[in-house]
Amino acid sequence: MLDTVVAAETPEGIVLELHPAGLPVRFFAFALDWIIRLVTMFGVAVIAGLLGGVGMAFWLVFLFALEWFYPIAFELGRSGATPGKKTFGLKVVMDNGLPVTPAASFARNLLRVADFLPFGYGIAIVSLLLRKDCKRLGDLAAATLVVHEPHPAPRITLDKVEPVAPVRSIPPRDQAALVALAARAPTLTGERLNELAALAASVSGDQGHAGNAVTHRVLGVAQWLMGRRS
Amino acid sequence: MTPLHFEERYQGEWNELESALDRLLNRKKATKNAPPVQGERVAMLYRRACEHLALARARSYPAYLLDQLERLTADAHQVIYQRREFGLAAIRRFLSVDFPRTVRADAGYVWLSAALLYIPTLIIGWLVYRRPDLILSVVDARTAAMFDQMYSQSATAVGRAAQGDWVMFGFYIRHNIGIAFQCFAGGLFAGIGSLFYLVYNGALFGAVAGYLTERGHGPTFWSFVVTHSAFELTAIVLSGAAGLKIGHALVMPGRLTRMQSLVEATRNCAPVVAGAAIMLLIAAALEAFWSSASWLPYAVKYSVAAGCWIAVLSYLTFQGRSAS
Repeated sequence: MLDTVVAAETPEGIVLELHPAGLPVRFFAFALDWIIRLVTMFGVAVIAGLLGGVGMAFWLVFLFALEWFYPIAFELGRSGATPGKKTFGLKVVMDNGLPVTPAASFARNLLRVADFLPFGYGIAIVSLLLRKDCKRLGDLAAATLVVHEPHPAPRITLDKVEPVAPVRSIPPRDQAALVALAARAPTLTGERLNELAALAASVSGDQGHAGNAVTHRVLGVAQWLMGRRS
Repeated sequence: MTPLHFEERYQGEWNELESALDRLLNRKKATKNAPPVQGERVAMLYRRACEHLALARARSYPAYLLDQLERLTADAHQVIYQRREFGLAAIRRFLSVDFPRTVRADAGYVWLSAALLYIPTLIIGWLVYRRPDLILSVVDARTAAMFDQMYSQSATAVGRAAQGDWVMFGFYIRHNIGIAFQCFAGGLFAGIGSLFYLVYNGALFGAVAGYLTERGHGPTFWSFVVTHSAFELTAIVLSGAAGLKIGHALVMPGRLTRMQSLVEATRNCAPVVAGAAIMLLIAAALEAFWSSASWLPYAVKYSVAAGCWIAVLSYLTFQGRSAS
């Protein structure tokens, strides 16, 4: 597979697939967070300006809290992501797929100081580009991952295709391939679908043939494998 | 069993788990006024869903089915293994047991870090005291003049009006915690970053102290710094120690892989850094509101300072020893 997938095994013995988020989407999420922080800072500065000395102090304390604790507060919240990350469908989790712990969130965000060097998150960018699991130094030390929230896969909708019994026995891997082809059918062009279906034409007894009718029968076999009977 | 049979047979259980998760995760589509979620039932449904996922994978069922089960199990996994460690009880336990204990567990790093901070302080301090012009090799002439003016005895509240206390509080928080966090994060570069920041800050502090004492501003300066430094310098030492520990874990991972060793060390020293951050907040408050009050007699200031130093050191040495 070309996908960057990190496998995390649960105590129940199943493997969860986590999809680490790469540099571009994390950059956009960071930029959005940065804008949100900038606007908040500006808003608080306007209010604090009216209060004089105490307001100024409040603003400085607020600035500090925003700088260091903005990501920590949101990551430990229910969504496990800052507003920027959430907008782009990202989330911070532990390596094993569990919600991020307070200690880990604390560590990964304080270590931004190291990631920032030599300037503009230079080390973080290099680390993100080099590693398959897209971790920056803070993620490495805290054992966390930034992952994409999963999207639901499309259901197979081939209601118009009549099920066709296969003419020969089909090994399980080929069965899976046929069903996967049927699932992708609506997203393929007719010509490409015909080409692909021709490769599997032996299941409906159409070896060496191609065309819409053959494709129709091959998809019918997929329907049959799914368990539909006319 | 064909995929459709499989789906038909177990869809009921999956839907039940899904709606329970909707409620537990406060999702929008959660049905209102439903009966409360039974924990045991959810755990059972989760294990069933895990079984079904394993079966579906082994039988190469279609992607949408695997996908549904994967999302279901991943969500349930998050709910079932979530950690609840917030709240007052957790904070009390942290302050009364965990923090001082982790500090003692890493005593070696703490001593090393203290040596790296204080030995340059003493050496540079003594050198600058003997030859004040050496201060110019540490800071530029303007900064030196600024220190001079700040701590001159004629200045009212160490260079600022009382109304500025709050402003300085804000400033100290940003500045001091920044230094401490740098000492920690520098550990990621094989500990060299921590080493550098500790020695650098020690030397800077020594230079300023030596220079001001030699210029005759000793009483103002020492009565200003001595109280909050109990918290501030100790916190910097602790952050530095955490950084050194991470660096050591990276350079000498022992029987673990380098990465495991780094993760382990970071997890172990997170409480130390969190505790140090709390100490720095206390230090900033003291520095802004107490240390700057120049109308207090020196005797009071020095006694309170001694009290603070004894309190901090005995807290780190003795607190939480007997707790289980």
